[in-house]
Order: sequence, then structure tokens, then C-alpha cells
Amino acid sequence: MFYQIFEALDRKFSVERAQAHCDIPCGIYDPITAQIAALTVVRMMDLMADAEAKGHDNHAAFINSMARYIAVKEEHAEKAKHEVRVIWGDYIKPEHVEKHPELTELVFKIMKLGSKVRQTVDRQTGLDFVEAINQFAAIFWETKGVAVKRAKAPYAPALEMVYPNL
Amino acid sequence: MFRLLKVTGESLSPLYKEGDFVVIATLPFFLRRLRQGDIIVFQHSLYGTLIKIVERVLPAEDAVYVIGTSEESLDSRRLGPISQSAIKGKVLWHIAKPNN
Repeated sequence: MFYQIFEALDRKFSVERAQAHCDIPCGIYDPITAQIAALTVVRMMDLMADAEAKGHDNHAAFINSMARYIAVKEEHAEKAKHEVRVIWGDYIKPEHVEKHPELTELVFKIMKLGSKVRQTVDRQTGLDFVEAINQFAAIFWETKGVAVKRAKAPYAPALEMVYPNL
Repeated sequence: MFRLLKVTGESLSPLYKEGDFVVIATLPFFLRRLRQGDIIVFQHSLYGTLIKIVERVLPAEDAVYVIGTSEESLDSRRLGPISQSAIKGKVLWHIAKPNN
């Protein structure tokens, strides 16, 4: 009965909220979003290299395709960085860093690589970006007590990815 | 003196769940007598009004160390001790959302 009274008060006067805070619903953290975004960056680099190699009779169409590849590369590089920042900021705790002291440097490296893959079309930088986020994923799953496996992504560019071995 | 608040988030689940109401006492009389296990509401400059469990009282620092029940809870493990001046109230009455 009290609940219904307070619920009515809340509807009328909008009671202040006290947050039992988790930025996103508790437990829903997964580095796979960052991994796929990084993979997309390499895919865009490959598509750009292919388009360039094939040559182009229709310049406008070529520019249009390139613009789209670049836009997706930009978007996904930033998305990968964002997803890593969310896990770093909201999930990783001092005890995780204590156990994996390389984590701080690794996150810093991911941020730098995420910027570099936007500035260039250097495939090796893209591969380094994917691998750095793979290493981040491996540490993340270790903190969850979940074993990981490495397997090739079932889509182009079919790079090796770290997956939870569920 | 007393205030009504509604809980959001699940970092205190299953003790306190999304949609529960709490009545807090804001009187210094209550806030100066905090003990381990008390549920408090406090203000954080970045995250706003938070509700957590007092894990221990730190008299020398005039602060408390707070935790949640969830592994992913944002609490003193990341925020550090919560100063007494940031504490807005202590929960006196918990009105759980009925299970439908």
C-alpha cells in the first residue's frame, strides 16, 4: 500500500533519484564491440586499397566510394576507442590494474592507435589496433574468470580475434 | 529532516532494486552515528546522488568507505572514501517495489 502511495507522489511531484550506479545495466560489458569496430577499420583500409588498385574510369563514383570508406573508418575507430574507455572507466578497478599492471599502458596504446588509424591508411597500424584490443579483451575476460580462445573472424578481413571460450 | 527518494540502477541488487523507494533522515544526529551496514545517500560531483552501503567508517578522515552488492558497482573502490560533508542522509525506511 505504501508503495502505491509513494508511486503516486512520484508521478505527481517527481521524487529525487538515488542512483545505485552502474552506467549501463550491471554486468553488461563486452569488449567484442570494440574488437569488431577495430576489425571494421582494417576492412575499410582494405577496401580503399582495392579501389585504388583497380583504377577508376568514373572519378565521381570513385570519390563517392572513398568518402564512404573513410567515413566508416573514422566512425569505427572512434567507436572502438569509446567502447574501451567505457570498460576502462566503468568496469576496471584498481585490483584489476594491480593484477595486470600492463593494462594502463595498453589502454593508452589503444587510444593512440585509434587516432593513428584515422590519420593514415597504414594497414599495419590497423592490425596493431586490432591486436591491442584483443589483448585488452583477453585481460577483461580473465578478470571475469572466463577462458579465452583465439580464432579467425568469420568475415573479411578474417583476422585473429580473442573470444570468450564459453 | 526526512526525504523520499526513488532508487535507480541495480548496484545494490537484490537488497535494493530499481524502482524501490527509500526515506532518508538528513539530521546530523543520524549522520554522525553511521555504522557498518548502514545504507546512505550521498552527493558526488560527477555522478550525482548515489546510494550505497557503508562498509566501514573512517573517523580519522571524517569519511566512510562505501560499497555496492554488485561487482560492477561504482563505489569507494573507484571513488575513494566519501567525506562526511557529502552525505545527504541515512536510509531509515525501505519501501520495496512489489513483485508483479
